[in-house]
Amino acid sequence: MKILEVKNLSVEARADKKTILKNISFEIEEKSIFVLIGPNGSGKSTLAYTLIGIPRFKITSGKIFFLGKEISKLPIYKRARMGLALGFQEPAYFKGISVENFLKACSKNSQQKEIEKALDLVGLEPKKFLKRKMDQQLSSGERKRIELASVIVMKPKLMILDEPDSGLDIIIYKELYDILDNIRQATNASILLITHREEIGFLADQAGFLNKGELVYKGKFDDVMIRYCQSVGRRKRCRKLKVKKT
Amino acid sequence: MQIPNLFLKSAKKCGYDVKLMQTSGISHLYIESNKILSLQGNPGLIIKTKRLSQGVAIKILVKKNVKIKKPVFLCFGILNPKGKQIILPEIILEKNSELKILAHCTFPQATKVIHKMKAKIELKKASKLFYTETHYHGENFGAEVVPNFKILLRQNTYLENKFILKQGSIGKLKINLEAILEKNSFAEIDSQIIGKGREDDVSIFDKLLLEGENSHSLIKLKGAAINGGKILFKGETRASKLAKNSRGHIDCQEIIIGKNSFAQSIPIISVENPEARITHEASIGKVNQKQLETLMARGLSEKQAISFIVRGVVK
Repeated sequence: MKILEVKNLSVEARADKKTILKNISFEIEEKSIFVLIGPNGSGKSTLAYTLIGIPRFKITSGKIFFLGKEISKLPIYKRARMGLALGFQEPAYFKGISVENFLKACSKNSQQKEIEKALDLVGLEPKKFLKRKMDQQLSSGERKRIELASVIVMKPKLMILDEPDSGLDIIIYKELYDILDNIRQATNASILLITHREEIGFLADQAGFLNKGELVYKGKFDDVMIRYCQSVGRRKRCRKLKVKKT
Repeated sequence: MQIPNLFLKSAKKCGYDVKLMQTSGISHLYIESNKILSLQGNPGLIIKTKRLSQGVAIKILVKKNVKIKKPVFLCFGILNPKGKQIILPEIILEKNSELKILAHCTFPQATKVIHKMKAKIELKKASKLFYTETHYHGENFGAEVVPNFKILLRQNTYLENKFILKQGSIGKLKINLEAILEKNSFAEIDSQIIGKGREDDVSIFDKLLLEGENSHSLIKLKGAAINGGKILFKGETRASKLAKNSRGHIDCQEIIIGKNSFAQSIPIISVENPEARITHEASIGKVNQKQLETLMARGLSEKQAISFIVRGVVK
């Protein structure tokens, strides 16, 4: 069953009416992982924001279907309540709010145990973190993990994770791979994962390559990665991937 | 002990443990208009009252070397929609004593209620006072509340004073607090206010005078002016010639939402001793868009998200 269908989607920024996404179409199957890659400025985050309904972006043509229902005109919070969740690339800090209260606000029906389990899943010890404040005293890595936990406690049907790996130390990639794998197994949610990292991208069932606002290629992750490396001039990497494939 | 249900309901709304409030043996004083509903002192803690035509004069005294471990509950209110109440408390902590007061003022049905308080507080040498006062003024913007505090902190004393009004409407609120700090004393004055409508008009003036060596102070003024609410914060700290090595800080933070709201912060600092240091910071701003989007992407409506953000700022 298709959980998300995007049909001929074109999007512009409300501020300057500049077109950012052009005629995008793709689908995500239930319980699958779709990895979206593309160079900086290709429109990956705009696509994530448009799917979740952030009003800074305007759909000029095309439609979005979630669980078979058209959601293109639904406000952000109604999409979230249907089970569509976005983990932001640069999550917001909340002065004066504890991690526990933030996670409770994100999950209408989650029990304390589920909140603690979500923290466990992202590799944070609940006892240490529940009472911590959501302010700048959290490291960016800790804040990113809490962002993931806040998506998990929503019990979404589809998680859109916008570069959960950006700004993290290279050593953490393996751990992040495990975290994402754990999330997939523990939640049964589909995942739309935006990343540059092959180390994480190998989780993908399907992948897409976004370039200059257009989805130029869809298919298996390895194939998409080859196209990506060709496009951004990473020839060595491209050769390695081709060899690995054969 | 008889406590009106509306008192309990309102205290619970403001986060108080109402079971503890009703426990026998717990020190308390409950006053409705000028009627004393219930009073309980304890060994080392004397609570005396004198009924006035429109209110009550109160004397609370903690004896020398007595440390009261459980909090003392004070609840003052007017349950009718109209009325006037004047409360004149005098709180004295004798040498080396300690007290925690949880005060609650409630006017749950106010349409035209006036509440005035003139409090005198003296902390004698090496005493400690933890004073929290929460208010609930109902939902009709019909209260006019004017608390006035004169506080004297003798040597080596410690004061934490919190004023919280975050539930319901405010009406008119005008607080004046003045404290004198002697040698090695510390005072933290914390106000948390949310004004939700155009009839809410708040003015808070906290003035701390550092008069002794090594005295330390902190004024925290946190507020939100929403949908036409008006909030004025004025925090003043002065270090006198005698205040060698004294330190003071004023932190004013306000958030402003909706048309015709008004927020103003005025920190005033002055220093007469070259070895004293007073600092301040003040900010007024709108709701952070990124925070708003994050919460709405978690399923909170715009109203719920704003309320959550405001609670964080006003904390």
